[in-house]
Amino acid sequence: MSSETTTPAPAVREEIAQADDIIITENVDKWFGDFQALDDISLNVREHEIVVVLGPSGSGKSTFIRCLNRLEEHDAGKIVIDGIEMNDDVRNLNAIRSEVGMVFQQFNLFPHLSVMNNITLGPRKVRRMPKLDADALATQLLERVGIPEQADKYPAQLSGGQQQRVAIARALAMQPKIMLFDEPTSALDPEMIKEVLDVMQELARSGMTMIVVTHEMGFAREVADRLVFFDEGNVVEQGTPQHFFENPQEERTKLFLSQIL
Amino acid sequence: MVDMPAPNPQRIVLPPHRERARRPRIVRLREWVKRNLFHSRMGTLLTVVTAAVGALLLYGIIYFVFVDANWRVITDNRWLLFAGGYPMDQEWRLWFSVSFVFLLIGMTYGTWASLGRRDHVFIVLVSGFAILLLAHGGAALWSTLWYLIAIGLLYVGYAITIRMPREAGPRRTLQQRIVTGLLIAALPIVLIVLLAFGGARPRELDGFVLNLVLAPVGIAGGLVLAIPLALGRASRMKAISWTCTTYIEVVRGAPLLGWLFVALFILDDVIGGELIVRAMVVLAVFTAAYMAEYIRGALQALPHGQGEAAHAIGLSQLQSTQLIVMPQALRISIPPMVGQAISIWKDTTLVTVILPLRELKGNADSAIAQFEFTPDRIEAYVFVAVVFWVVAFIMSRISQRVEGSLGIGER
Repeated sequence: MSSETTTPAPAVREEIAQADDIIITENVDKWFGDFQALDDISLNVREHEIVVVLGPSGSGKSTFIRCLNRLEEHDAGKIVIDGIEMNDDVRNLNAIRSEVGMVFQQFNLFPHLSVMNNITLGPRKVRRMPKLDADALATQLLERVGIPEQADKYPAQLSGGQQQRVAIARALAMQPKIMLFDEPTSALDPEMIKEVLDVMQELARSGMTMIVVTHEMGFAREVADRLVFFDEGNVVEQGTPQHFFENPQEERTKLFLSQIL
Repeated sequence: MVDMPAPNPQRIVLPPHRERARRPRIVRLREWVKRNLFHSRMGTLLTVVTAAVGALLLYGIIYFVFVDANWRVITDNRWLLFAGGYPMDQEWRLWFSVSFVFLLIGMTYGTWASLGRRDHVFIVLVSGFAILLLAHGGAALWSTLWYLIAIGLLYVGYAITIRMPREAGPRRTLQQRIVTGLLIAALPIVLIVLLAFGGARPRELDGFVLNLVLAPVGIAGGLVLAIPLALGRASRMKAISWTCTTYIEVVRGAPLLGWLFVALFILDDVIGGELIVRAMVVLAVFTAAYMAEYIRGALQALPHGQGEAAHAIGLSQLQSTQLIVMPQALRISIPPMVGQAISIWKDTTLVTVILPLRELKGNADSAIAQFEFTPDRIEAYVFVAVVFWVVAFIMSRISQRVEGSLGIGER
């Protein structure tokens, strides 16, 4: 069975080594009917840490990060985000959601709103930010993701890569402490993947705490502080990129890596 | 056949259709006719038969309209058909409302679409029809003048709004908000103009005016009721979902005529009041059941990701519905909703069964009940049919154009 090997990371960045856990999950279970998607997951993430989650489809990796902002409700266990426990208290949930940004595989931009309004909607409606401030913030974020000239277009007028960068800007507009990425490049044409990964890499360097579900091994190797391998709702193995790509311990990890590398 | 010019090796050879496009129009026309009408023996036969039937039909129509028919049944009963029991000295209120609505139609076109050649042709035809009708009897001049003012306002509203910039931006948003606000306010404003401050009593709304009041109230009221019904039916709370489902299934299960009789006999004890109010309630309640189902269908067609993305940026359930889900669902459901609106527009003729209410078709019956006009039934009913068709066509046309321009934001 799964032995949760917590290999001590040899090359942990200084800032992480001293940081506290910002995400704490203890014994989390999630069931979809008779299917157990998450089986007793305990996984903590430190502030500023970049965690890349790998695993075959159906392994529970997406379900796991979707539990972290309660797009899925966990059935058992405990989830604490930045000191706030996830429970039925709506105030807690709103506090958590405004600290956790999420980027989806299918972008999920709002097609009836302009790029500008996609980004400013959250700050204005949730944070009650004045329109002028929100617009200034959005302009700044669009510059950060490299498409300031697209502010007045509608999502359908943008390429996939541009849409995903707008989606990142939209999540950042809430000024979250944590960013979750659910296969952010899987729906993109190959030539657009890099522009999105570049934005994510810049974000990682800026000190954001990130959990990234992806199949982009180059990104995982270069940017991740820690890789976590999911299979059948369990964390099978975790460790540094070096550990993973050069010396994986578990058979299932080896098999998975041999299939996608 | 026409010979193709021999390709000149020194020049770039254009693709064949470009070559064709440069030849004289008469040659292209001849080719078009051959290709589309006479390209085979069967095609030729069908063309000839269709043309013959069409010609016969056209001859019949022209003969009826210009020779056979006695249109005095319409022109002599102009006021009866148009407004019936509405006080004649308050005619300006009717025209004021018409002008206001025409202005709004112009502004709607100018904001979300543009008038094409076909629209102008349609407006000219309808205006000709209206003026032919109005230019009789004592007040003919004034009525015609009022109509011309109304049409003029349509173009004024159009001319103002079409000049505004179309690019997204604060001015565009403001313009859209103003026009949308006016459209929402239009119905109450018209009702106030017609009824308040010395206007008619509700029971004096009559003839075509009654149709024109009942249908929008039914449609607007139906839409307002339909949104919570659709959300309720999709709700996870069983009590709410069952209540809404029951409402929808019960109301859709019986014909409108049946519900109008309910309004006549049963609602009298429950809500009492004016017959016309009861008719309005029934029309709204009936329309709501259908519209709720169209909205529910649109809600289901929306990708799940929309609601998830809304929650992920911290919007509450209410905000997500109001700002993200419902605007998109309403847009998707425009085509069936307009279908339902046209349907309820025509169904306003059914209120004639509630006797004291006389709308256009009912008043046409009255017109031909006069001894001198008894032979002119067909004229009266043809007229009623044409009038209903014109309004239905306007609805359909506006929705098509607006839908097309709203497509910008679609995925």
